[in-house]
Formats: sequence, structure tokens, C-alpha cells
Amino acid sequence: MSLDLKWMADEAERRAFIAATPESILVSPDLPLRANLSVLDNIALIPQYRTNLDYNAAADQAWSLLLRTGQTGAAFKRDPDLSHEERFVTKLLRAAIGQPPVILVDRPGMLLPDLHYPPYLEALLSELADILNDCWILDYTWNAPLYPNR
Amino acid sequence: MAAISNFLARRGAALLATWRIWRDTLRFAGRAGVTAATPSAYNSATRGVVMKQIYFTAWQILPGFTLFAALLSFVLIQIVVSTAASFGLSDYALEVSMRLLVLELLPLVTALFVALRSGSAINTEVALMKIHGEIEALEDAGVDTLRLEFMPRVIGGMISVLALTAATSVLALVLAYLAVYGIQLWSLPDFNRVMGKVFDAPVLLSILLKSLAFGLAVTVIPVAEGLATPRKLFMAPISVLRGMVRLFFALMLIEVASLAFKYL
Repeated sequence: MSLDLKWMADEAERRAFIAATPESILVSPDLPLRANLSVLDNIALIPQYRTNLDYNAAADQAWSLLLRTGQTGAAFKRDPDLSHEERFVTKLLRAAIGQPPVILVDRPGMLLPDLHYPPYLEALLSELADILNDCWILDYTWNAPLYPNR
Repeated sequence: MAAISNFLARRGAALLATWRIWRDTLRFAGRAGVTAATPSAYNSATRGVVMKQIYFTAWQILPGFTLFAALLSFVLIQIVVSTAASFGLSDYALEVSMRLLVLELLPLVTALFVALRSGSAINTEVALMKIHGEIEALEDAGVDTLRLEFMPRVIGGMISVLALTAATSVLALVLAYLAVYGIQLWSLPDFNRVMGKVFDAPVLLSILLKSLAFGLAVTVIPVAEGLATPRKLFMAPISVLRGMVRLFFALMLIEVASLAFKYL
């Protein structure tokens, strides 16, 4: 996996960047989970739909990803009952399970408002490194000081 | 002059909006129909949604609705049988009660019940999906929402209306037999003769087509109305209100068209 930071000067630049990378899957505050599905079903839905995997096999895949990220406690919760962290991990796993060429984590500060998110993101993404291809974090330039190692 | 012009402009805009939503509904019905007829559209995820829709629309309500249909059928059969007897027309009681219940009333009552229970729920769910951006999120994850979310609801809704109509109709037949002949089996040949006269092939085909049209309406109109909801939360109740009113008129139109086709 290669992790890249993309600094955006303003919203217009961010929108233009997203529009210019249609092959990417977004993890964004603007793209919610399916509210009437549990976390497990939200993640399992992707392989079930895209590769015609039967439900049990897809749920096993989703469960193993939740296990790796330490979020099995959220597996049967629905969106309104999730913490910001649980919701973010679910969105990330929903994107990751389809193994797209690029995952764009859009404005992580809005997705994880209660965490010092740069080290958290780095740790989480390295945990999933073997199933991720490219992962780009889209953040505004004024948040750059939050990323001490980059 | 300006007032007349404003009035006409407003009426024209309202008329265009109504025309647009019906056009979008028909367009959605066409797309859902084409997708439903494509075997590759079905996979484990879509089958799951179809089964859930049948479970929530038909299976969950089966005991309560069957009981209600039995009560309604029993009361109406008794009214028809006693009225026919008082006019010396007992020979026609069975045929009239079956025409009233199985051909007209039970399919319409079933469709109205499903519309109130599942149609409103589908309309609300799709409107909220649209407002919150869930449809966009699924599309971004490579999921065709027509194939995964909407077409299975249409299929499930149609199967549910058809199954509930069939179940309540069979129950009405049994109740009519009991009301006219009592608890015994040796009048079955007479009963079968009357039923054969009432339910000939064209009539059976018309019940099937009417139930399918009802099933299509109770799912297609709520989904199309939900999809047309602007992305503003306060529009959700307005969307459901509009969807339910349009659905009511569509069901009544189907019923009137079916009556006109049969009796005029």
C-alpha cells in the first residue's frame, strides 16, 4: 500500500480533485452508510453484490476485517448508534473490501472529530496495508501541522 | 392582467411538475421492468432484498390480514346470502358474493393495505436515502442501486400483493361454501360448477393482471416519488404525502379501468 497526502487549498480544489479521480472510492462525510443495515451488512454488501458471493461468505470476509481493526463490537450496530471512530472504520472497510485501485479519505478531520486523527489513520491503514492499494488522504493545507511526520 | 398571467404561470408550472413526476414514474417502471427481465441482474444481494421485501410486505402481515379478510368476507357473504334469500334469488347468492369479493373487493383491499403499510414505508425509506446521500454512497462503491435496492422491492411487492390476494381469495371461497352449503362436502360438485362459471379463463387472467398492476403501483410510485425528493430533510413528509395520494389515485384508476373493461 502507498499512502499519500493531498493538500487542498479550498473546497473548489477538493471537489475538482475528487472529480478528476473517478477510479477512486471515497471515504467521505458526504457518503453515509446504509442506515437500515448493520455495520457487518454494510461491508458484506459489496462482495455480495459485486462478486455474487453468498451472504455467509461475504459476512465472514466483513467480520475478519472488523476483527483486524478491533471493531467487532460494532458489527451489529446501525449507523445512528455508532461512534465517529466506528463509523469511519466501517466506511473505510466498505471501501477497502472491494479492493479498488485508490481509496480517497476525504477530510478525515470531519470523519474523526474527536481524535488526533493523523497517527490514528496511519496506524489503521498500516493494519490493512495488505488489502489496500493506493490510499490518498485529502486534507486542507491549514491542517498540515497536525501531521508531524509528513 | 399581471394577476392572470401569474395565475396561469403558477398553474402551468404545477401542471408541468405533475407531468414530470408521472413521466419519471413511467420511466422508472420501464427501467425496473427491463432490469427485472435481465437474468444477470439477480445475485445473492438482490435475492436477499426480494426475500426481505416479501417477508415485510406479505409474511409479517399474513395472520392479521387474513383474519381481517376472513371477517370482511364472512360479513359480506352473509349480507349477500340473506339479501338474495329475501328476494327469492338464493341461486345467485354464491355467484354474486364471489364476483363481489374475489373479483373486485379483495384485490383492492389487499392493494390498499399493502400501500398503507409497505408503500408508505418504501416511500419514506427511499426519500431518506436520497436526502442523506445513501444512494450516491452506494453508487460510489460500485453498486447499481436500481438493481440492488429498487428493482427487488418492485418484484417483492408484486409477489406479495399477488400472494396475499390469492390467499384471501381462497379463504373467501371456503367461507362462501360454508355460508351457502354448511359444513358438509357433498355439495362440492354444485359449488365447482358455479365457480367454473364465474372464474373462466379471461376472468382469471383479468384478476392476475389487475393484481400485478396493483403490485406494480404500490412499489413503483413510492420508489419514484422517493427518488424525486429534493435533498432537504423537511421534504421527506411532503414526498410521502404526495406519493400516497398519487398511489391512491393510481389504485382507483386501475380498479375503474378493470370494472369498465369487464362490465361496459
